[in-house]
Amino acid sequence: MSAHSSELAVAAPADAPGVDAGTDEGADEELRAELRAVSRDLLAAAAGKDDAQVDWALLAEAGWLGLEVPDGLDGAGVTVAETAVVCEELGRAAARAPYLGTAVLGAGALLALDPGDDRDELLRALATGAPRFAVALPTGDAPLGAAGVPGAVPFRLARSGGAVRLTGRAEFVPDAAEAETLLLLALDEGDEPVVVRAAPGQPGVEVTATPVLDVSRSLGTVAAVDAPVEAGSVWRFRGDGRAGGRLLLARGALAVACDSLGAAEAMLAATVEYASVRHQFGRPIGSFQAVKHGCADMLVSVSVGRGLVTEATRALAAASAVHVADGADGVDDAAMSAVEVAVSRAKSYMCAAAVDVAGKAMQLHGGIGYTWESGVHRYLKRAALSRALFGSPTAHRARLARHLDADGAGGAR
Amino acid sequence: MNATLADLAELRATIRDWCRAHVPADWRRAQTGVGDDEFVAFQQAWFQELRRAGYAVPHWPAEWGGGMSAAEQMVLYQELAAADAPRLVLAFVSIHHAAATLLTAGTDEQRRRHLPGILDGEIWVQGFSEPEAGSDLASLRTTARRESRAGGDVFVVNGQKLWASGAAHADWCLLLARSDPAAPKRRGISYLLMDMRSPGLDVRPIRNALGDSHFCEIFLNDVEIPAENLVGPENSGWQVAQATLAAERGMTMLELAERLGNVGLRSLVETCRRPDAAGHRPIDDTLVADRLAGFDTEIAGLRALCRDLVERHDAGTVGDASQAPPAMRRSQDRTAFGDAGQAPPAMRRSQDRTAFGDASQAPPAVRRSQDRTAFGGADASVVKVYYSELLQRMTGFGAEIAGLAAQTELSKPASSGWESGRWLLDFIGSWEWTIPGGTNEIQRTIIGERGLGLPREP
Repeated sequence: MSAHSSELAVAAPADAPGVDAGTDEGADEELRAELRAVSRDLLAAAAGKDDAQVDWALLAEAGWLGLEVPDGLDGAGVTVAETAVVCEELGRAAARAPYLGTAVLGAGALLALDPGDDRDELLRALATGAPRFAVALPTGDAPLGAAGVPGAVPFRLARSGGAVRLTGRAEFVPDAAEAETLLLLALDEGDEPVVVRAAPGQPGVEVTATPVLDVSRSLGTVAAVDAPVEAGSVWRFRGDGRAGGRLLLARGALAVACDSLGAAEAMLAATVEYASVRHQFGRPIGSFQAVKHGCADMLVSVSVGRGLVTEATRALAAASAVHVADGADGVDDAAMSAVEVAVSRAKSYMCAAAVDVAGKAMQLHGGIGYTWESGVHRYLKRAALSRALFGSPTAHRARLARHLDADGAGGAR
Repeated sequence: MNATLADLAELRATIRDWCRAHVPADWRRAQTGVGDDEFVAFQQAWFQELRRAGYAVPHWPAEWGGGMSAAEQMVLYQELAAADAPRLVLAFVSIHHAAATLLTAGTDEQRRRHLPGILDGEIWVQGFSEPEAGSDLASLRTTARRESRAGGDVFVVNGQKLWASGAAHADWCLLLARSDPAAPKRRGISYLLMDMRSPGLDVRPIRNALGDSHFCEIFLNDVEIPAENLVGPENSGWQVAQATLAAERGMTMLELAERLGNVGLRSLVETCRRPDAAGHRPIDDTLVADRLAGFDTEIAGLRALCRDLVERHDAGTVGDASQAPPAMRRSQDRTAFGDAGQAPPAMRRSQDRTAFGDASQAPPAVRRSQDRTAFGGADASVVKVYYSELLQRMTGFGAEIAGLAAQTELSKPASSGWESGRWLLDFIGSWEWTIPGGTNEIQRTIIGERGLGLPREP
């Protein structure tokens, strides 16, 4: 473990395997509070720079990349609940950091795989910040449709001319353009979801950046056309590959919901500050009910969103622990559905609410809110991108409605 | 921690079994369209049933018949909701407002007299609002004049109270009256316990929007209240009342959220899945499915919010700035825009703000820690606003989907909340949540000022 992540080791027992990290709620809360405080300080400094770029070295040195990587592999051995804290703080700072590709999805994908020397080496490298990762999976609405994960896996492996070749295309892949290692979600010849390791420059694989309005995010397209794949580069998920793929997509959606939570809270805080000092008609505008009640509504929706995000984080952390621990038996369908219901609620509510809150922030700031200089636009764009990434609110609600129709809300208890 | 969780699981199983054995079968149908007497009898019987099990007043101290922790109460209300047990409508003011007042500010003698009485079915009503004192409650005009009598001092009360829910059945009244007309309006009010059999009282029911007559006007004409029925010091009734107002929005909100999440959501899904004459199901319409899933999500959000409050309260961290939602920690934070160099000019100014002057201007976290009620500050207001408006939107949606059929449902089960699935009645009844207990307009002002620290109105 590197020296800078020792702050985390103080709260996380050094010998505790990651799986057990979810058993002591009190200590976990403490750990997250400390992580939150440290993140906020570090990011506040970074956010002062042009386009709020966070240094890659800082992410690695802070120990945030390897949060979920086991202790034995130079990580902190904690859970997705801690990753969620960093995501929220990145959103609060509207920071530009390749965190989704490496720490959220890269580590998440590797941890969901069958253990092995290659995988472990890659996890160790990830924790220390050596290669940057991108995970090419469907980031739009497709996997939320009735066909689910198998129907939306973007790549396919096929044998031709004695070699296994990879073909497919994934768009809006987080942090693809800067990635040095690609992990692609593919269906193998038996239609089983697997992860294929690739490099951006290798024959048949092409990565292109996709410029978007939200300059705090980096997205790209990963395309493969009959790209030869070595046998050692095809990795299987632990247990059911579909469950692995579904967990990975849930992570993406949750991470973005956490980002939106942080961004919404930042916009609420900024609006309250501004309304307290900006005077019109001889008094602070925050003393007018029209403004005050607008801020109150922002707090209400942020509070509700936080509740949903917290529940979804708990559900995902629990299921991830089971997936990693039990392997073959893994997460059963009912447990996976519970995770997806919780994530869909959090993602659809929080990501829509963040756009509303940022929009209200722009409105309540008046003219200054519409200026480039105010920075409110950065949050509005970020929230709008988050709303679309890993499933629109509409797509998540469509999935929820299917669940409701299936069980008649019998699982309400 | 694990032992506690195991204990809670055991408690849950016990309550679940109890509900199976004791929740009256088919009470919804039996209680639909019943008269007043039957409603009162059913409520009293159900209250005693709960009391025998130790479930009637779990929030009271153990010495008075309660003693459940917040976590245990949460389990109780979750299970009662899951079992669709009748709600304690009639005893609501007695077990919450009256008890909170007595426990917070009452004398030992007052507690000994009334807490066992409440357990035996004594019904209380709140006499706060007046025709000219609604949202501006502190401007109330009912007077209480202290006079000497042979048997001891009395307060002679004159005036009129409004919106007294259940006054027709009440044995006792929590009364706010002005005892010092010369003092500033919040410093001249006294809190009195009034026997509803006192001479000089006239109770007149008011029909509400649904045609029911649960709330009443109370006319007071030289009503004499013994001075020993004064709660707290004379002229500090406003301060005492804060305790009762807070009690209305504590664990009771969690219970309501659980009700909405169980029978409410089930009824809504059922409404959306019910085929019409042609066999079409509303849920197969994309827009209906989208809205239904939205309500499922919002209800889950409400329940999470309530659970979070209860858990933080149980951990003793409500009011602790380090555990408060980050939005509330704002005043301690850097601005959202990182350092001052990056912040726009207007926001840079905000950082120059000098230290807060008086307590009313203190950062929210400071004031929250001064707040000694369980669910004080803005948390309770956040829940109240969200619950009531979600209820209104959701029941409105139910009425819309149920269509003309909903128009034919002329009565709802007594002893149920406004999530009965009689959507149009529920919808109309939902204004009972957005208006009383401090209108949502007042709540938003509380959220803005106490929760976010925004400047007060002039």
